Amino acid sequence: MTIDRARFDQGLTYEAYKAQMSRNLDRLEENERRVDLSKEDIAAFRALPRPVKVLVLAEDWCGDVIANLPVLGRLAKDSGKLDVRIFLRDQNDDLMQRYLNKGQFKSIPVFVFLDEDFHELGHWIERPASVTEVRAKRRKEIFAAHPEFGSPDAPVDQLSESVRVQLQTELAKMRDETTKFANGEVVRELREIATRVAA
Amino acid sequence: MTATAHKVKITYCAECGYEPQTLDLARALMLEFGARLSCIELIPWEGGTFDVSVDGQLIHSMARDGGFPQAGAIKDAVRARLSA
Repeated sequence: MTIDRARFDQGLTYEAYKAQMSRNLDRLEENERRVDLSKEDIAAFRALPRPVKVLVLAEDWCGDVIANLPVLGRLAKDSGKLDVRIFLRDQNDDLMQRYLNKGQFKSIPVFVFLDEDFHELGHWIERPASVTEVRAKRRKEIFAAHPEFGSPDAPVDQLSESVRVQLQTELAKMRDETTKFANGEVVRELREIATRVAA
Repeated sequence: MTATAHKVKITYCAECGYEPQTLDLARALMLEFGARLSCIELIPWEGGTFDVSVDGQLIHSMARDGGFPQAGAIKDAVRARLSA
């Protein structure tokens, strides 16, 4: 299976994708507003010699899509150099099979960067490893600071509902506090791939 | 004789689109056991979770066992608890 113009053009634009979302649009747009792009990052994308095409696999229920697709959306909007087309994962399994995470997981979002001849420059899956690492560390710290949460590896259904809600609140707070770092890492990694386009 | 309440909890990742599997399993248990279960609790969670426990005992964990459970295996575990 190759990705050619005909297939690429079947994807939804970022705005069309947003228009068909059945949930989490408010969260996605809130994240879009919170993306803080530096002048250097925008300049790096604007300096691309030619527009880069980005094929995206996404679904509106996925937390990593809600967190990271808006970063790509803002980079596209602010630079004018990314042509984004979004495909729904569960309706495009042929594309998904090509970009399985670790060769087996249907992790999303997937961002595939293509040059004007649809040659792949590189692809990006789910979230940066650095973000996973930082959040795992912070999660351990939360459990260490709250003995009432029990073991981080224990099934959450063993907690009482009130403790579970408290844990959920702490985890949401931690994600919020690490969002700026996470967005920065996403931009850094996407910039590294997009700038592979030949001069 | 004292009646024992038997409870099933399904903890699923609400950020992974696992609602269909959760509802399918809950439906299968409802249809199979009816009022013999005192409760089927659905717990929306995160982090790729899909855990099923029966009376506090973890029967299936996606992290531990991989993938989604077969409804038949969960039904067998519930039957074992009902007849214990």
